[in-house]
Amino acid sequence: MSEPLVLVADDDDDILLLVTTRLRRDGFEVVAARDGDEALALVRAQRPRVAVLDIGMPGLDGLEVLAQIRADAGLRDTRVLLLTAKAQESDVRRGYTAGADAYVRKPFSPAELSSRVRELVDQTAGTGQ
Amino acid sequence: MPPLRDLKPWHLYLGVGLALIPVYFAFASGGDAQSAVFLVVNGAAPPAVLYGIRLHRPELRLPWYLFAFAFACSVVANVLALAQPNAPEPSLSDGMFLAAYPFAAAGLLLLMFSASGRHKLAALADAGIVTFAFAVFQWTYVMAPAIRAAGGTGERIVDGLYPAMDILLLAGLSGFFVSPAWRAPSFRLLGAGIGALFVGDEVVGLAPSSYSAGSWIDTFFLLAYVLLAVAALHPSMTELSRSRSMPTLRVSPGRVGVLAAALLVAPVVLVTQKLRGKPLDLYEVLSLAAASSVLVVARFTGILRALERIRLRERSARAEAEAMQRQLAEQNERLLEADRLKDEFVALISHDLRTPLTSIIGYVELALDEDVGPVLDGERRSYLEVVSRSSERLLRLVDDLLFVARLQAGRLVLDPTELDLAAIARQSVTEAQPRAERKGLELSCFGEGPVPVQGDRGRMFQLLDNLVSNAIKFTPEGGEIHVRTRQTENGAVLEVSDNGIGLAPGEIERVFERFFRSSRAVDGQIPGTGLGLFIAKAIAEAHGGCISVSSRDEGGTTFRIELPAQLETGAQMPRAELVA
Repeated sequence: MSEPLVLVADDDDDILLLVTTRLRRDGFEVVAARDGDEALALVRAQRPRVAVLDIGMPGLDGLEVLAQIRADAGLRDTRVLLLTAKAQESDVRRGYTAGADAYVRKPFSPAELSSRVRELVDQTAGTGQ
Repeated sequence: MPPLRDLKPWHLYLGVGLALIPVYFAFASGGDAQSAVFLVVNGAAPPAVLYGIRLHRPELRLPWYLFAFAFACSVVANVLALAQPNAPEPSLSDGMFLAAYPFAAAGLLLLMFSASGRHKLAALADAGIVTFAFAVFQWTYVMAPAIRAAGGTGERIVDGLYPAMDILLLAGLSGFFVSPAWRAPSFRLLGAGIGALFVGDEVVGLAPSSYSAGSWIDTFFLLAYVLLAVAALHPSMTELSRSRSMPTLRVSPGRVGVLAAALLVAPVVLVTQKLRGKPLDLYEVLSLAAASSVLVVARFTGILRALERIRLRERSARAEAEAMQRQLAEQNERLLEADRLKDEFVALISHDLRTPLTSIIGYVELALDEDVGPVLDGERRSYLEVVSRSSERLLRLVDDLLFVARLQAGRLVLDPTELDLAAIARQSVTEAQPRAERKGLELSCFGEGPVPVQGDRGRMFQLLDNLVSNAIKFTPEGGEIHVRTRQTENGAVLEVSDNGIGLAPGEIERVFERFFRSSRAVDGQIPGTGLGLFIAKAIAEAHGGCISVSSRDEGGTTFRIELPAQLETGAQMPRAELVA
């Protein structure tokens, strides 16, 4: 069985590199996107097990990408983890209401993020993706 | 009737004076006894006025001295008249009587001027209008007939002068109505006295032959003496010379009526005389009427000007109020703008500080990861560990500032769940253990779980972390920190105690204030922002609990948090609504 595929979308190159590095070291296969549109296209084309989406992105933002994923019946097994620098609790609520599976607030520990991704992957392990 | 001990001199004087009037008529007409009573009533007046001045000490005394002098003249005149009952007119007695009037009138005018305050000219004009109008009447019906009557020139002049003097007194009285002084009892007594004198004089003037000593007409003169003296004894006499002008002159129907009646006197008198076939004193009547008209016009002009001034004042006041309102609205807008900018600023720090911190903390963590890459040498590792600790501290500071900013904006929102306080305490202690060990502190947790409470898990960790970090910070090497949790009847209690530097006396009350730093922390150069305990208190209170602190002077502090078992829903829900 190949390594589980994870999509990471963030407009900040440093964060993107940080997350992809950590996830790759922890044994994931990672595809990276720099904005929402690219992320959505990659999710549809490559069907990652988990999508790590930054909320604040140019173009489609993380919440909009999440909405598109949830609207697509073919993508119902995709787990979504939201990342945000916003400190507002109301954003957390909005994220969960929109159907996010996990939520990590910036700044985060890469190791912790990685373990949250691992949890999500394990949840989908039985689906045969 | 006032009780006896409250009797004032003016009560006594009025009572005795009025009682003497029937006594006067009880004696034989023209007898010595009657004359004596008359002289007593008349003669008591000047000392009564002087006594009134001494008693009440009015601001302006000259008018009252003039009244006293006028009374004295009348006493002398009466004594002379009694001594020489058949002296030919004009007698010395008449001279003294007539001399009394100008003094009394001067006194009245002085009082009027003083009482009318800002409205001196209006008072003078009113007095003038009434004087001229009354003079028309007085001339036509009293003075001219007296002068034209048969008899010696001197006698006719004297008979004509008495009514002229009454005009003076009436003029003095009428000027008072522009000031509130006319409501004073003393003024009413003065008016009644002058009125009585006037009635007596008029009766004598209209029918000079009807008067003889002891006649009923003396009632008026006696009454006048008593009332005028009582006016000086009444406490309100001081009000007559106190300048208390009305704020604005009102154009009452009464005032307009008096002015209109004054204009009508001359034509009415002329027509009446003509109809009765009596002589018309055209020059005298018309010149008085002309003078009266000029004053009426002047008075109306004054009233109109005053109204115009009021209108202008109102307009400018309204404009001022409108300008003020505009200014307030602008200020309000600026405040709202400032508030919006503050919110934007908070959002900005929250994003822009957290993003680089994510990189710093994340990459340092990657660099310190021993699983991957070449192993770091000890020195580089220690540098990176400093970077790690510092960035964690910076993150905590940013979080604290954001928390306080949101708290100030009323946006502390709880996400309550069922919690085990004991488990949270154990986990917090475990997480803080490395920091305590680095400082050589013994950190231990006591209490058998579970201790169930309702609360926001994240906030509860924040609260515990704040208290434990605080204890670590303020306890010197070798110290002990104890964290205890226990269930109580109403909920749960959490205690964090240390044997650290403690608080100085007087600081206990202030320790939860925002940005408060204890003097020992400042002296010991222990870093901090003074926000940790403020936040701890806010979290405890948001959960419906309370926080308290006790400290021993020689060192050691205990923070105690009491939390209810059930979170009162709704306590913070209104605030939650504010967020959206």
